[in-house]
Formats: sequence, structure tokens, C-alpha cells
Amino acid sequence: MKNLLRRLRYLLNRRRFDQELANEMEFHREMAAREGNQNFGNTLRLREEARDEWGWLWIDNLLQDLRYAVRLLRHSPGFTLTAIAMLALGIGINVAAFGYFNLLVLRPLPVRDPASLLQFERASPGNFADNFAYPEVAFYAEHSKTLSAVLANSVGRLTVGPEEEPMNTSFLTANFFSELGAVPKLGRLLSPALDDAPGAAPVVVLGYGTWRSRFGADPSIVGKTILLNKKPATIVGVLSDGFSGLGLEPPALSVPIVQIPYFEAGQDLSAFSEKSINVQMWGRLRSGFTPAIAEQELASLAAQLHLQHPKDVWEKETLPSRPGGFAITVRAEMYPVLALASALCILILVAACVTLGGLLLARGVAREREFSIRSAVGAGRGRLIRQLLTESLLLAFLGLLAGLLAAYLALRGLILWADLPAWLNPMPDGRVILFASAIGVAAVILFALTPAWHVARQRYRTTTMRQILIAAQVATSCVLLIVSGLLIRALNQAMSTSPGFEYQRVIALDPGPGAASPKEARAYLDTLRARLANLPGIVSMSMASNPPLGNRWTVFKTRLDGKAVNIHFNNVDPLFFQTMSIPVLRGRALARGDKREIVVSESLARAQWPGENPIGKQFSDGKDIVVGVVGNARLVSPEDSDAVEAYRLAQDDLLPSMVVLVRTAGPAEPLVPAIAAISKSIDPRRFPEIHLLRISFNQKVAQARNTALTVSVLGAVALLLACLGIVGLVTYAVSQRTKEIGIRMALGAQPSQVLSVVLRQFASPIVIGLLVGIGGAAALSQILRGQLYGLSNFDPAAYTGAVLAFAIASGLAALLPARRALLVDPMLALRYE
Amino acid sequence: MPNMDMPSGALVLLILRVLRSGTLHGYAIAQRIHCLSSEVLKIEEGALYPALQRILLNGWATAEWGISETNRKVRFYRLTPAGRKQLESQLADYERVHGAIQSVLRTA
Repeated sequence: MKNLLRRLRYLLNRRRFDQELANEMEFHREMAAREGNQNFGNTLRLREEARDEWGWLWIDNLLQDLRYAVRLLRHSPGFTLTAIAMLALGIGINVAAFGYFNLLVLRPLPVRDPASLLQFERASPGNFADNFAYPEVAFYAEHSKTLSAVLANSVGRLTVGPEEEPMNTSFLTANFFSELGAVPKLGRLLSPALDDAPGAAPVVVLGYGTWRSRFGADPSIVGKTILLNKKPATIVGVLSDGFSGLGLEPPALSVPIVQIPYFEAGQDLSAFSEKSINVQMWGRLRSGFTPAIAEQELASLAAQLHLQHPKDVWEKETLPSRPGGFAITVRAEMYPVLALASALCILILVAACVTLGGLLLARGVAREREFSIRSAVGAGRGRLIRQLLTESLLLAFLGLLAGLLAAYLALRGLILWADLPAWLNPMPDGRVILFASAIGVAAVILFALTPAWHVARQRYRTTTMRQILIAAQVATSCVLLIVSGLLIRALNQAMSTSPGFEYQRVIALDPGPGAASPKEARAYLDTLRARLANLPGIVSMSMASNPPLGNRWTVFKTRLDGKAVNIHFNNVDPLFFQTMSIPVLRGRALARGDKREIVVSESLARAQWPGENPIGKQFSDGKDIVVGVVGNARLVSPEDSDAVEAYRLAQDDLLPSMVVLVRTAGPAEPLVPAIAAISKSIDPRRFPEIHLLRISFNQKVAQARNTALTVSVLGAVALLLACLGIVGLVTYAVSQRTKEIGIRMALGAQPSQVLSVVLRQFASPIVIGLLVGIGGAAALSQILRGQLYGLSNFDPAAYTGAVLAFAIASGLAALLPARRALLVDPMLALRYE
Repeated sequence: MPNMDMPSGALVLLILRVLRSGTLHGYAIAQRIHCLSSEVLKIEEGALYPALQRILLNGWATAEWGISETNRKVRFYRLTPAGRKQLESQLADYERVHGAIQSVLRTA
């Protein structure tokens, strides 16, 4: 230990100690000379040997190598910039992807003590829900000993002032903000003392964004009264900008949960059963308890509550928990997608590194003379490799910095562009930097080790290594290019073909919550439809439980013909197919009185009963009987061309959640105000939402376009990397064979012969790489098919397109530098060396 | 003059031993060893100074500035208690090995 301290002292005072040593040896020399001993050694070397005892010689060597490497890189800025750009690309894409994952999944939310927060769900054998009835949560809050606080949030919508469009509102337990350590920007937040009392005044806390956008950042807003759902409420405060809430979006409006009945007539806080107010539940673990103990306690509390409410609290109900302090919790079904995304990112890194490795190898030739001299004056192979690695490390370090910067900018851009909440901080944290460093080290190993080995051994004339590099590079780039081609084709195909239903002239009207019983709902819907029928320009009207292109769907995942398929279920009324212009191909449409009868889409029928008449067949384990086949209509996700549909007749119990669909004769827009006025005049407590399907459809198209854009950028990056690599290697081949080319030209070789000499060696590795790439892409698309619907198994256009693009680009990349071979002056070439 | 190659461990032992008699500077250490060995052992700078650095690093001796016989500022090395202990243990080791080698040479 003392020894180490002394060593450190030597390191820190190196200059002084070195000076002393020099002095001392000088004195020794003087004395020796005085006695007639003239045997002078190399002073510097002797001093270095003595210094070696301190154990820091490697630092001197490293600094020396670094200085040399910096000088070298500064001398060839073109190579340096290319190399750094390539590394920045390969590392940046990985770091950005990891940074995004880190931001949403790994990094705890910026709330007080996120580690002790748990989010609860309900489960019992055969049942599962992520929502609780409010009284159930209140019971746990009152009786739990393992949780120091129970938080609840019920998501709803309230209109603000005279405006039509309601805003997302969180109905919160009053302890929500204080438990999470939120601070107000203005005024106060909700407080258990003031806002939980029965008969407390109705108050609202504005989200920071709401305050800015809706209230013009009015600094004197606190204390003002606004109308929420036409009911007065006092603004008591504004949340600060940095508060995240317990999800991705901080609440726009926050209202105490006890005020729900005040704002929404007919709601009952104490109700269990179907009239209950549904909330999400979080708990803060009291210190000293584990989540498992809390789950046990809550399960026994649930059993007690089950005795009082046998219908509403399930038998053997348990409350499984998961960490509550994170924006997104990764579930097992997300693993394959994550693995796939990582694989694609790593593939890009590999492509970048292989390309750079080729360039480094090519540079070796230019430094052939330098390395011969170095080994001639006594540098060992290890020393040469060390120096080459130092140069590569310097490159990797610069590339890492550039990659971190690029990743930071990309994330920042993404947060702005995708309108993600402002509390997400794209600044790389320790975890991201660690990850980036690991990626950097992997990159160095990938791109630097083998070239360094070959250059140092002066064996870079062997072509095998180069050919393997080319083949690997072509293969990785080819995989990326083909897969992106497949994705783009799949998306384009899905979006350009008709979705199979009328969307240009259909308006969806969602009455929103309000009706408690099917009877009430029926009365409302009947009045609504009767009044709408009087509007001129309406052709047809229908109802569905899941509105087309809306935000509600019922999906059943299954495998048909070995393909992963989503079956979209919808509960509709008999006029649905007519209103949506979906043709009935066989059998009949649904009719009043149907119970077990089901109508399936053409694709579903064909996949389920190939070559047979589907009418009369049983479906869903015999629960349903097929009575009709209709045309394919991708009502929920037009980008998923593999999706199939099945329709049941909506029964009465679904009436409270039905959406009304209206098809117009002409353009739909002019009718919107009239429809809105009618829907509101029937029941003033309701706040219906109106959507034009045309606009929803265009939004879906835009989303698909963005995905396609991202993927094509990846593909283009891969192609660019491959071309850069080929340019580098051909340049290298030309410079290496200058003399040979000169001789051939002096002897009268034709330009085409010269070109073929230079390029012939690249032909077979490119072909092998292409074959491997096609095979890899086929394998990868098999995996992709399980995750991304609509990807076709073998899409000749995507494959040939990618291979053609690759052939043309790589041909150009090879020919441009190869032309230099033709410009070789035989006389100069012969004199060369 | 015969130039004996010496294992570096032995050199450290000799340096520590001559330092036990008093503080010396580097050149004097070499001279002393040279004289005491009846001019058989000649210590080169290339061996002496690395060995001295190792001794300093291990804390067996300290260096202090003094004035040489030729009136020049020079470093004198002084044995520390740790160096004394090290010398004793090394001497004991050496005696044991030396004795063992001797007995083999004598009897075999």
C-alpha cells in the first residue's frame, strides 16, 4: 500500500524526480571520468531504465503513441473525418436507441422515492384487470399496514369553459402530489387536509402545459374560477414543469377524486359493480416491507372485502404488483421486438466497423515503409500492435464523443418532434455513458484488432482477410437493405390498397360516458338517431362497439397457416356493413335477434376453412356459427394487411358504449356542426366526441409513412456504409498494384483489362456476401413476421430491388476509384519505389 | 577487469549492506562495492540506479541532498529501519541458500 502511494508520488512529481535522477547520474559520470573511466553509455536509455522501476513507463509510451496518433490523424483529415463519421453513425444509432429505452424504461420517474412505489393490478383465476372500483382502493388505503400511502387516479375528460373539446383530466386522491414530492409553479397543489373533507370546495390544479397553452401563462390565475363541465371550480395552483406524474403524460387538469359526482352527474363514488368509478392504484411501501409481503396482506384484505361484496370483489382475488416508479414497464411480450430492434442496431454498428476495418487495412499499405523502418530499428511486433491500437483507440474515442453528441441531438429532436413530455431529459446519464463506452470498446475490437495484427505482421498483402471483410460487409449491408425494403413495401402496400371500407364520407360520433344502464342508453341512442335521420344528406346510419380507426379495439391473437394473425372483433348493428360499404360476399349480414351468429371476413374464412364453404361452420370453440362472409375491411389498423375481422351482433348490454356511424351523401365536413348540435341538445350532461374517418385515416397514413421513413434511413445508411467501404478497399487495391498496372499498361494492356485485374478479386466476395445477405434477410424476415404484421414471406420486388440497388451502388463505388488505375502513368509507376 | 553479471536481488542486498555502515551517494556505493570485492564486482550505472530506485520505492532507504567530496550537490542514501529489517531477512536467506549450496558442493 505504502509502495503504491510512493509510486503515485513518483508519477505526480515525475519531472522533478527525473531531473534529480539525471543530476545524480551526471555526477556519477563526472566521478567516473575523473578516475579515467571513459565508458559512456546512452544516458537517456540508462535513465529510462532507472525510471522503469517506478512502474510508469507505460504512461510515457502511451503518451508518446497518442501524440504520434494525433499527429498522424491531423495529417490525413479526409480519412479521419470519414472514420469518425462512420463510428459516430454506428455508435450513435446504438446509443440513441439505448438512450430512448433508458429514458422510458430504465430511468425512474422524477418523483420522490420512486423505488418504494408499486403499481397494483387485480387478478384471480380466470380474471384480470388493471382497474379497481374506487371503494375497493379506499378500503385498502384504510386498512393496509404495509403501505404507507395508497394513490389512485381515475382518467376522465372535462370540458373547460365554453369549449367543445374536452380535456384529459386526472381525478386524484388528494395525497397524490404530496406523496410524489410535486411542487407547485403557482399556488398550491391538492392537499389531503383541504380537499379530502366531505363538502370540500371544488378545486382544480392546472398542468404546466395547460396553464401555458390554455391560460396564456397568466401569473395571477390562482384563485380564479373556471367552468369545468359547466360547473364552477376554483383554480388553486399550477404544477411545475418538471413533474412527470406516474405515466408518460403529466395530468392536464387535476381534480380531487371526491369531486367526481359534482362534475359528472350520476356518478357515485361508493358504487361497486358496473356503475363504479374505475381507478388505477399505486401504493408506497412502508420501509422494512417487501412487495411480496404487501401483496400477501392485500390479498387477505381482498378476501375480507369479498365477503361483503361477493359479486364485485373476485373470489381468491390477488393484487400482483410491479414497480410503479417507471414510465413504462417492460412486459414479456415486448422482448422479441426489443431483441429485434437491438439486432438491427448492432448490425449497423457491425457494418460501420467492418467498413472502417477495411479502410484501416488499406491505410496499412501507405505506411508499409514506416513500419519496416520501425521494426528495423528494433520495435517488436507487440510494440507495433500497441501503437496501431492506440491510434484506433483515439479514433474510437473521437467517434464515441461524436456518437454521444449525435445520439443526444437525435433524442432531443425526437422529444421535440414527437411531442414527448418535457420532463424527459435526453442528456446521457451514467448508464448511457457506460453503455456507449462498452459499445466503443466492442467497436475497437471489431474494427481495429485484426487490421492491427495484419499491419504489424506486415502480412497485409494477403487477400483472404480483405475478401472476408468485403463479404461480411456486403452481407450485413444487404440484410439491412432487404429488410428495410420488405418493411417499406409492406407498409406501402397496406396503405395504398383500399382499406376495404368507406372512410371518406363517414362520421363517427362517440356519445361518451353518461348513460348508466342499457335502457338509458337505448333511449338516448334512439332519440339521437331519430333526430339525425331528419338531417338532409345522411345516407345511412349504424352503430359499433369499436369505432373504425378509433382508439378502442378487441383483438384476439392467433396463428393461422403458421402466420401470427390479429382477429379484430367488433359488435355491430345490422346496418353496419351497408353504412361502411363492406360487401356481403356469401350468406347474409347480421340481423336483429342474432345471438350466436357471426360474420367473418373473407381472409379469415379462407385461412380457417380453405376450400370449404364457411357458412354454418363453428367458430371460437363452437360458441359461434358463421352465417356470412364479408369483404376484408381493416377497420382498426390499415397498416396491418394480415389482420382479419369477425363481427357479432351488439347485444343490449353493450349499448352504453356504442359509437354511432353516419354516412353522408356528399363531403362529410359541412354536416359536423349540425350533428354536434343535435348530439348535445339531447342530453346536456354528455360531451360527445365527433371524428371524421377521413382525418383519422390520414393520420394513420402519416404514422405509417414515418415508420417507413425511419426504416429507409436505416437502409440508406447501410448502403452508404457499404459503398464507403468498397471505395476504400478498391482505392487500396489500386494503390497497392500501381507498379503492376504500370507494367501492364507499358506492355499495351487495354483499359478494360486493367480494370478487370483490379476488380476481379472483389467479384467473388461480393457475390458470396450477397448470397449470405439474402439468406440472412430471409431468416430475419421470418422472425419479423411474427412481430410485424403484413410482412410478406417472399417479396421478389423487395429482394431484387435491394440487390439491384446494391449492385448498382457497389459497382459505382468500385468503378470510381478503379478509374485511378487507368490514369496511372507507366513511367511514374515504374519509377515508384 | 572481470565484469561479473550479478542477479539484481544480490545487488540490492550488497547496496543495503554497504549502506548499513553509513549514508553514501550513488557513486560511492558503486566504489565501495568495487573496493570491498577486491575489484571483482563492478557496478554499472545501468544496474545501480534502477536498483536504487527500487530501494527507494520499497522504502528501504531514503534519499537526502548533501555535498559531495568534490563540493557538488548530490543525493545521499540512508538506510531506514524497514531497510535494516529487509537486509537482515535477505542476509538470513542468503546464508541459508549459501550454506545449502556449499554443503552440496562439498559432499557430492
